[in-house]
Amino acid sequence: MKVTKGRSKSAAILFGALLMGAFVPAAFGQNPKLDIQNLEPLAKKASEVVDVNLDGALLRLAGKFMTDEDDREGLEIIKNLKGIYVKNFEFAKPNEYSQADVEAIRGQLQTPSWSRIVSAQNKPEGETSEIYLMTASDGGTVLGMAIIDAQPKELTVVNIVGPIDMDKLSQLEGKMGIPRLGEVGKESKKVEGHHEKSK
Amino acid sequence: MKNRSKFLARAISLVVLMQFLPAAAVAGDPEFHLLVGRMSAYCQKRPMPFMGLVSFIGNRFTPPGVGHLQMAIFENVSPLRKPPAGELDSTLQDLVGSGYRPFVQVHDNRNGDQTYIYVRESGKKCFEMLIVSIDSTDAVLMKMRLNPDAMHDWMDEPVKSGRGSAHGGGIDVAQEGAAKQPTD
Repeated sequence: MKVTKGRSKSAAILFGALLMGAFVPAAFGQNPKLDIQNLEPLAKKASEVVDVNLDGALLRLAGKFMTDEDDREGLEIIKNLKGIYVKNFEFAKPNEYSQADVEAIRGQLQTPSWSRIVSAQNKPEGETSEIYLMTASDGGTVLGMAIIDAQPKELTVVNIVGPIDMDKLSQLEGKMGIPRLGEVGKESKKVEGHHEKSK
Repeated sequence: MKNRSKFLARAISLVVLMQFLPAAAVAGDPEFHLLVGRMSAYCQKRPMPFMGLVSFIGNRFTPPGVGHLQMAIFENVSPLRKPPAGELDSTLQDLVGSGYRPFVQVHDNRNGDQTYIYVRESGKKCFEMLIVSIDSTDAVLMKMRLNPDAMHDWMDEPVKSGRGSAHGGGIDVAQEGAAKQPTD
């Protein structure tokens, strides 16, 4: 009888734990992978759409040929990543897409776990760049990153999934479909220069 | 006269040899043969003849770092054989098999061309790339081997390379600077 009681108690605890496990990620929205595959309004307007899919297996594959000294830090970053996903839209004419079209992406970044860390505008060129970070509830670990790089005839969305060392991120700039952010970063300090939490 | 017959004999043997090249080229890679068979069954079309010869010649002109080019073209594929846009991805993945990882997809809305690029590791330091390109009437299947330098270039510029590949010049775009030939 005692044994049965103990067993049912353990079963109840286990069930409770499983239930919590099932609900916790959903409740905190801690999934840094964005749904960038189905951006239909933008895809319909674009003259060309390019999807780059570097999942964990491909990143490990990529790591095998990053043997140069220059690649060492890049390799350190990608070995912990779960994926890099890039969606690039090219338009025939300038301003063929509106900010409302980009909302499908921004909307996904409006959760408390995502923070916009950079928002830079180059008005004469009509270019804007935004960088968002998803951090763990401890506030320290970066779980994922999103970049929206909008130009008059081109829009690029990058989603990096997995822990990222921000100090080493520059090693990935201009690689794997990730835009060069050095100039944007410098400019952003002038433009924004603060850590804006998404609402 | 004697020289002319010798030349003729050589020319005839070359032509005869070339007739056998396509079969030999395809037979050399049973996996590509299998993929062509699957694609053929799916499209309900036989591939264009002499593609082995075309691939053989094409291999002479591949950029550094790219080799073992094989190609199959399926012409006049019925639009009824084209899967709906949302299903093309999974249909092609089923055709190429799970060993190949989807890498780049290019959708050209101007002409309806869709290009799917898959990669996988092959041997110690080589990569195999499979390109499936489908337009309104034709389908093209290409397989090639890339050395690490060539693959490095693809990884550096996947958007540019994928776009170039969809437009027929991607290999050149991707392989700038890749100097070594792939090894077996």
